Amino acid sequence: MTQSPTLSRRSTSSDLPQPRKSRQRGADTRAGYTFLLPWLLGFIALTVGPMISSLYLSFTNYNLFEPPKWIGLDNYISLFQDERFLQSVGVTVSYVVFGTPIKLAAALAIAMLLNSKRKGQGFYRSAFYAPSLIGASVSIAIVWKAMFGDSGPVDQSLSFFGINLGGWVGNPSMTMPMFILLTVWQFGAPMVIFLAGLKQIPGELYEAASMDGAGPIRKFFNITWPMLSPVIFFNLLMETIHAFQIFNAAYIISNGEGGPAGSTLFYTLYLYLRGFSDFRMGYASAMAWLLVIVVGIITLIFFRTSKSWVHYSGDSK
Amino acid sequence: MINRRNFLTTVALGTASAAVLAACGQPSPAQTGSAENPVTINYTWWGNDDRAERTRKAIALFESKNPDIKVNGNFTDFAGYWQKRATEAAGGGLPDVMQWDLSYLRDYGQRNQLLDLSTVKIDTSAFDKSLLPSGQIRGKTYGIPTSTNAFAVYYDPAKLASLGISEPDGSWTYDEYNAFLTEVGTKSGGALFGSSDYTSVWWMFNIWLRQQNIEAFTEDGKLGFSKDDLKEWWNKVADLRGTPAIISEERITQLLPKSAFGSNATASEVTWDNFMAGYLGDSGAKELKLVPVPSDDPDNLGLFLKPSMLMVASAKTKNKDAAARFIDFMVNDPEVGQIFKTSRGVPASKTQRDGTTFEGTDKLVVDYEKSIEKYLKDAPEPPIVGFGTLEASFKRISADLNFGKLDVNGAADAWFKEAEDLIKQNA
Repeated sequence: MTQSPTLSRRSTSSDLPQPRKSRQRGADTRAGYTFLLPWLLGFIALTVGPMISSLYLSFTNYNLFEPPKWIGLDNYISLFQDERFLQSVGVTVSYVVFGTPIKLAAALAIAMLLNSKRKGQGFYRSAFYAPSLIGASVSIAIVWKAMFGDSGPVDQSLSFFGINLGGWVGNPSMTMPMFILLTVWQFGAPMVIFLAGLKQIPGELYEAASMDGAGPIRKFFNITWPMLSPVIFFNLLMETIHAFQIFNAAYIISNGEGGPAGSTLFYTLYLYLRGFSDFRMGYASAMAWLLVIVVGIITLIFFRTSKSWVHYSGDSK
Repeated sequence: MINRRNFLTTVALGTASAAVLAACGQPSPAQTGSAENPVTINYTWWGNDDRAERTRKAIALFESKNPDIKVNGNFTDFAGYWQKRATEAAGGGLPDVMQWDLSYLRDYGQRNQLLDLSTVKIDTSAFDKSLLPSGQIRGKTYGIPTSTNAFAVYYDPAKLASLGISEPDGSWTYDEYNAFLTEVGTKSGGALFGSSDYTSVWWMFNIWLRQQNIEAFTEDGKLGFSKDDLKEWWNKVADLRGTPAIISEERITQLLPKSAFGSNATASEVTWDNFMAGYLGDSGAKELKLVPVPSDDPDNLGLFLKPSMLMVASAKTKNKDAAARFIDFMVNDPEVGQIFKTSRGVPASKTQRDGTTFEGTDKLVVDYEKSIEKYLKDAPEPPIVGFGTLEASFKRISADLNFGKLDVNGAADAWFKEAEDLIKQNA
C-alpha cells in the first residue's frame, strides 16, 4: 500500500512529455529493466518459483521426508470433509466480514475529523497513525492478550460499569470481538489514504451545496462519498485481502493452537499447523492455493461491481 | 513470524536443497579426528536456559576428555524444535547428534532419518532391560534413553492442610480420586479447584488402558482400543465437569503459558514426575508431593518408566564414531549425571544414576520412582507415526468437551475420525 489513486483532473496533452526518438526510448527501456532486475530476480526466485512448486505439491501427499506422491485432487476433496477446515473458513470469513467494514468506517470517520484545520493537527494525525505502525508486531499481540485476560484492564474497567464478562481470551464467544478490536485499532494506514483523498475534494463543491441548503449528511452522501469512492474502493480491496491473511496475532494470542474451542482457528493458522505440525505439506499447499483463488475471485467481484458505485473524475456518469 | 510468501519460500527452499543435497550425497569415507585436527559434530537439544547451561558444561567436559572431537551445540524451545528438524530432514541436513522425544521417534526412525545405534559402539549394559525397547523400532535401535520419568499425582500439602483435607496415601480408585477433587472444590468454596480435567491427558488415558491390559497401539500401528473405551474414559468425570472439582477450560486458557497447577489455581495435577522443578518454580510452593495415579485394580497401576528423552544420531552423519562416543558419554558418564541431576528425568543408566547425588527436590523424584518400582511394567513401544498430532488433538477435543462444544459421543467420534485419517495418511 504505497501509492494512492489520484483524483486529479485529466492532464491536458500539453502537460505530457513529448515523445522521444525511438532509439533513445529503447535504451531507456533497457536501463529500466536493468534497474528492475534485482527485484525481478527476487520475484521469480522467491515468489513465482515457490508458488509453482506449491501448486505441484498441492496435488501430492508430501510429508517432507519422502518424495511427494501424486494423489490428484484428493487434498482438495478432503478439505471439504474436514470439519476443522470448515471451522477455519467460518472464523476467517466472519473476521473479514465484520472487521474490515468497521475498520474502514473508523478510518474514514477519524480522517474526516482530522481533515478540518485546527491546532495540534499534526500531533493528532501521528497519534492516530501510530497503532498501525506497531499493531502487527508480536509484542502488541502479547499486550493485547494481557489486556483482555482475566482481571486485565478491559475486564476491570467493564466491571466498574457493572458489566462482568470475565477475561475475553479464554471465552470462545468473546475472542472474535477481541480480534476485530485489534484490527480496528490499526486503522492508521487506510486513514492516511482517506485523508489524502479528502484533501483533493474541491472546497467549492461544499460551498455550493451549502448555498443550496444541504446539511452535513446530505453533503457527505452527495459529495464526499462519490468523490472519495475510488479511495474507498482501494482501501476496501486492500483491507479485505489483508484481513484474509491474519496470522501473527492469531498465532500468539492462541499459543499457536487456534483455541479456545477453535474460535481463533484462522485460515492461515490452520494451514500452518497442517504443514509444520502435522507434516502435511501437500494439504497445506492445497489450502494456500484455495486461498489465492478465493481472494482472486473476491477481487474480481469487487472490480466488476465497482463500476456501479466508484466514480472517477472525468467519467461521463 | 510467517506470511504466505515466507511459508512458500521455506517449502521451496526445502525442496530445492533436497535436490541439491541428493545430488552431492555420495558416501564419503568415515572421518576420524586427532587432537591436532579434531572432527566437529553438531548437537542440538530443546530446553530452557538452565538446560543450556548444564548441556554446555557437559559438552566442555566431553571435549576435555576427547580432544579429537569438537561438539558444536545449538538449542531452541520444544515447539520450534520439531519445525526446525522437519525442514532439516527435508534438506538432508539433520545435526549429527540430537536430543529426542519418544513421540517423534517413529516419524523419523521409520522414515530412515535416524542411525541404527546398534551398528555403533554404545555401552547399554547399565540400562534396565525393560527400558531399551522404547528406543527400538522393528529390531533397530534408534534412540538411547538418557533418563526416565513416570506418571504421578502431584499435590500441594499446604493447600490441603489449609482446607482441612487429609493428604492422600496414594492408593485410590477413580471414584476416590473424584471424591477428593470434589472435596477440594467444595471446601474451598470454588476458590481452589481440585485439578484440571485429568481425562484430557493422553498418557493418563494410556495408563488407564494398561490398567485393563489394553495397549493403546497395536504392533502394526493401528489403534488398540475401541471407541467405547474412549467414551467410558471421558465419562469418568462427566459429573465433575463444570463444578469446582475441575477447573474450567476458560480459566486454563487465561493462565497460559503457565499451567493451572503451577499458577496455584488447582490443588493437584496428574503428569510426569520430572516436572517437579518447573512446578516449584512457577507456583512458589514450599513443598509438593507425589503419589501414584488412581487405579480400580490395586495390583495393576498401569505405570511404567518412559524415557523422558532419548539421544539419537542422524542416519546421514559422516562421523558415526564420534557421534556414538558422544552419545555414550551423555548417557553413561557419572559426571554428566552430576551436572543434570533430575532436570532431564532420573538418569536411565545405573552407572550414571549411582554416580549422582540427589538432594532436596531431586531426591523426591528419585524416591517416587523407587516407591513405584514393584508396579512398573515394560515401557510401551514407541507410539505410531504422527503420534504428536494425535496427542495434540486428544487434548484439543477434550477441551471442546469441557467448553460444552461437544458431548462425549461427539468427542469420541471426532477423535476417532482424526486418528483413522492420520493412520491412513501415514500407512
